[in-house]
Amino acid sequence: MPAGARFVTRRLLRGVLTMWFAVTVTFFLLRLLPGDPALAVADPGMTEELRADLLRDYGLDRPLAVQYWEYLTQLLHGNLGVSFRQNQPVLDILLERLPWTLLLAGSALVVTVALGIPLGVVAATRAKGTLDRLIQVGGITGQSLFIPSIGVFLLYVFGVVFGILPIGGAMDDDVYGLAAYGSIALHLILPCLSLVLVQLGSYVLTLRSTLIDALGEDYCTLARAKGLPNRKVVWRHALRNALLPTTTLVGLQLGFLVGGAVLTESIYAYPGVGRAIFEAVSQLDFPVLQGAFLMLAFAVIAANLLTDLAYGLLDPRVRTA
Amino acid sequence: MRTFRRAIAVAAGALSIGLAATACSPSNPDSQAGGGSGGAADRITIGTTADVLNYNPLVGNSRTDTWVTNLMYPRMMSMGMDGVRSPYLASKWEYLDGGRKAKFTLRDDFTWSDGEKVTADDVAFTIDAVAKEKIGVVAGLISSYQKSTVISPTEIEFQLSQPDGTFLENVGFWMPVVPEHVFSKVGSVQKFANDKDWVSAGPYKLTTVERGQRYVLERMENFPLVEGGPKTKEVVFRVFPDVNTEALALRNGDVDLIANALPPPLAKTLEGDSKLKLVKVPSLGWAHMQYNTARKPLDKLEVRQALAAAVDYEAIRRVALQGKAVSSNSSVLTPTLKQWQDPSAKEYAHDPAKAKSLLTGAGFKDGNGDGLFDGLSLRMIYDQADPNISKWAQLVRDSGKEAGIEIKLEGLERNTYVEKYTARDYDIYAGSWAIMENPPANLALAFKCKGFINYANACDPELDALIDQARGQLDQAGQKGPIQQAAKIITDKVYDNVLYVEEFTIAHSAEWSNFLVQPSELLSIVNPVSVAQATKG
Repeated sequence: MPAGARFVTRRLLRGVLTMWFAVTVTFFLLRLLPGDPALAVADPGMTEELRADLLRDYGLDRPLAVQYWEYLTQLLHGNLGVSFRQNQPVLDILLERLPWTLLLAGSALVVTVALGIPLGVVAATRAKGTLDRLIQVGGITGQSLFIPSIGVFLLYVFGVVFGILPIGGAMDDDVYGLAAYGSIALHLILPCLSLVLVQLGSYVLTLRSTLIDALGEDYCTLARAKGLPNRKVVWRHALRNALLPTTTLVGLQLGFLVGGAVLTESIYAYPGVGRAIFEAVSQLDFPVLQGAFLMLAFAVIAANLLTDLAYGLLDPRVRTA
Repeated sequence: MRTFRRAIAVAAGALSIGLAATACSPSNPDSQAGGGSGGAADRITIGTTADVLNYNPLVGNSRTDTWVTNLMYPRMMSMGMDGVRSPYLASKWEYLDGGRKAKFTLRDDFTWSDGEKVTADDVAFTIDAVAKEKIGVVAGLISSYQKSTVISPTEIEFQLSQPDGTFLENVGFWMPVVPEHVFSKVGSVQKFANDKDWVSAGPYKLTTVERGQRYVLERMENFPLVEGGPKTKEVVFRVFPDVNTEALALRNGDVDLIANALPPPLAKTLEGDSKLKLVKVPSLGWAHMQYNTARKPLDKLEVRQALAAAVDYEAIRRVALQGKAVSSNSSVLTPTLKQWQDPSAKEYAHDPAKAKSLLTGAGFKDGNGDGLFDGLSLRMIYDQADPNISKWAQLVRDSGKEAGIEIKLEGLERNTYVEKYTARDYDIYAGSWAIMENPPANLALAFKCKGFINYANACDPELDALIDQARGQLDQAGQKGPIQQAAKIITDKVYDNVLYVEEFTIAHSAEWSNFLVQPSELLSIVNPVSVAQATKG
């Protein structure tokens, strides 16, 4: 098998194993949560027969190992179960929410990378200068922001004081076609900005540090000695190597993005999976929680898989290692 | 080549985001296109903090469930600001045969949205389903129900196992009526999600659900309780999980009304806004602490009295509730229910010295001189997500310390809290009742031996007898005497330490008026008649 194919197969197998691990941990962790899930399904005032009937319907009367096996089997058939509280298939509930989370997390990621790379380059090429210091302070400040606080602040400033952006929600009522896209974009600005502000710092600071190191390497010195303009040394030679840790960061940060979406979606009344998690926790709705965690775990694993593959493309040594 | 690859990557990214946006954007439904003239005056937008969990009005019990389904399904009775029942679907109600039978006479002008008349058959079907499947809170309130007889489309009679003067008011206030011709086809009513093709007979009918975002209801032109039908064409509930965002949306004009009560600190910040109106809505319940009398030393009356004397009630109302609460004079007959109130009731005095003296009299000593009585350390549980209780729990702990009583606070996550109080696993239970509007029925559940919500574990034959005596009376005049005596025993024996009755603040845009205020957060100005008669401008 060629080295490239071996590399991809290994990564895929690792992804499947990680997914199984995530499924198992999620299943058992949720059962360790305080509170009896039977309370969520069956009213204490019900007759014993009806209570037993309901618990049987949801499979809660069986031993944990049997529930686990049943869950795995159903999962392989694409069945995530039925919500305790909403009496509806979990997959339907989550698929209704997923596009919003993908839109928010995807936009935040794109904007962060689009801003983070140039800012990192500027900081590294003007190391210890005023601009570099400003970017560093900004990056560190952003990382220390708390999403609910920045969220309410942004909503107040842009929604109430200036009145130029909508407050909460994902789109206006009764808008269709192009107007709907416009409305979606307007509603996306503030939640996306919150996520970008919080995570931009890590990209900028990581890239700054690795790029400074790369610019000090012999191959950059040689390139400069050959008379190559500094712009080309930075963007064509040093940046490609400096981007490796940043690429890893994209995969890691995706976990933060989906985690951050729980808070962001709640503050901005954004109807994504994060909010479904927030609501399901308070309602002890295990099937929804399990489904949402799996969906998010899948997203993180897939992103990491892609990152690994991208890493292989950027650095051929990784493929053959 | 490199430029080409980059262009492909950018295009792929843009396409992914575009696809996500496409998946999010709605298609243009015909119904919406037809009614596209929906101007601001044709719609009232109501903010709520949670999605609807269950559209089945007999099962759904969250606040949002209730607000939405209340607009869709009628009840037999409504309620005035003084807690007195008023007609809704029922025009008349009475007890017959010495209280062994109860009867409702219904209006004949209610119609389901599919054209069927609302009749006594619907009421009979609903109560039978509730009784048979033991559905929700109503099942616990109709234990005396045996069977119903439909006399005519507008008359229904109930056979009771014993005279029960609480039956009609309980059924009338708590039980939404569902359409028999829909719900009888679903098998188990309890398991019926009722999540599409809604058939309603309230002022509005649910038409569109976008989970996580909004719930749209359209008016029922023939709703008979508001002359000319509901004034506003469309009601939209929009979901804001964070109450601060919700308040900003109100200030911004994105919503017209916030259904949930505002937390007192937030209510204070909105007081000066001329574009808003704040409505005071009295609670039908109370906030309280109950001492677990099944545990030592709380089985001793002196200890419970000492605990009651150790609480600074005024400070709790002033500091934790920011003045948005009134005293109930330590009585379970609160000022909201004026017709039940006992004018002789008096609040426990905050008197740490008296508390110490009571405990010394009960044999407690401070042997090590640390200011706390030895062997008197009590565990108080409460829901940490309740902002009011989380604040006053600390005041209770601090004032307890002044009286030499150590109170260990256990702020619990909601589900653990429910599990603990269901198992009666606490020394002190701190919480609040949302609606206790029918004292003879409520006191039976909360204070009779083995009562379903008897969190004090009280078991007092004298108290039980008085409550039973009241339940056997068929009118309020006959019930009032024994109920006031029962309430006095509850206060004297400290089976419940009522701290305050909250005064909820509900906010709406000043552009809207003509709301009908009813007590409790569940009814407030989001009750069906209020929403139906509200007007803009």
